[in-house]
Amino acid sequence: MYSLLSGLWKYTFQKDEFCILILGLDNAGKTTFLEQTKTKFNKNNKGINLNKITATVGLNIGKIDISGSRLMFWDLGGQEELQSLWDKYYAESHGIIYLIDSADKGRLEESKKAYDKMLSSEHLSTVPLLILANKQDIPDCLTVLDVKQVFHDESASVETRDCMIRSASALTGQGVNEGIEWMVKSVQRNPYRPPREKAIT
Amino acid sequence: MGGLFSSIFSSLFGQKERRILILGLDGAGKTTILYKLQVGEIVTTIPTIGFNVETLTYKNLKFQVWDLGGQTSIRPYWRCYYSNTDAIIYVVDSMDRERMSVSKQELVGMLEEDELKKAILVVFANKQDIEGALTETEVAKELGLACIKDRKWQIFKTSAVKSIGLDTAMDWLVNAIQSQ
Repeated sequence: MYSLLSGLWKYTFQKDEFCILILGLDNAGKTTFLEQTKTKFNKNNKGINLNKITATVGLNIGKIDISGSRLMFWDLGGQEELQSLWDKYYAESHGIIYLIDSADKGRLEESKKAYDKMLSSEHLSTVPLLILANKQDIPDCLTVLDVKQVFHDESASVETRDCMIRSASALTGQGVNEGIEWMVKSVQRNPYRPPREKAIT
Repeated sequence: MGGLFSSIFSSLFGQKERRILILGLDGAGKTTILYKLQVGEIVTTIPTIGFNVETLTYKNLKFQVWDLGGQTSIRPYWRCYYSNTDAIIYVVDSMDRERMSVSKQELVGMLEEDELKKAILVVFANKQDIEGALTETEVAKELGLACIKDRKWQIFKTSAVKSIGLDTAMDWLVNAIQSQ
């Protein structure tokens, strides 16, 4: 009887937990994206002033509940030196969100290099990948099509995973909801990497 | 009635004092940092046997800062101070390559404590004024910070004696605590 009840309890209140890694060069808008996501999906999130965000030299975390699952975000620092810490998180990640500063054309190649290096990791071969052409609020920035031309040739590795390129503005919130909703669907249906544990809410 | 008013008053205007622990091995510079933050001066320190505790206000946020002695014999007593901690400032001597692994061990052990589950971690890669000091990324690797997956952390390069990085780090900490 007890196990029936506890089973029922768990069935009702436990959520699958997925870990989403937010990556990209420094100043791509990763932390702003995370804060915006938390504000949009957590009702009681106080939210920090988006203009006060400084460079991350470490890790920011965030949790949201969406579509019956819990997403746990890891936002890592993007400076060149810090990129060497990224791979410590790969094995436990269920999804990757890669942000590109669309207003910084000069660093697009650099971003592509970091991206290629990231995708070469075998730990990431099956996880869904969302590429966001961020900072679309800035005039004259690269469009999502421009970004696609540089980032599209991963077609070989795309066969085994869900992959999507979208436009976004973390600052204004444009494209954030759509991106997160796409991500949660993708990690839920990805058979290669099941949720890490059940989280009781 | 008076109590009611005072409690309403304090909930409107009062501030909860935040509690911060400054931890790290002996000789890392914890006490120097504490007094640099509090009085803005470099004080001559002797090894702390026991603790120093000071209240300081930074950007309208009131902190109670505990600086605990770092010698091997006192480290077991750190745990007596863990409850209700909002943030941990972990100070590392970036020149002390030999004891990085000891510093890592202490950090890892500390972070496993239940009472610190919700505390934000700020690492100060201190003594950056000395040439040949490890960079903050090197310190982060030595300490295995990338193994932390469920806690907000950030590392700063600091020099307490040259007051490098302390303001940046405290600004970040204030922001992080307020949005917690």
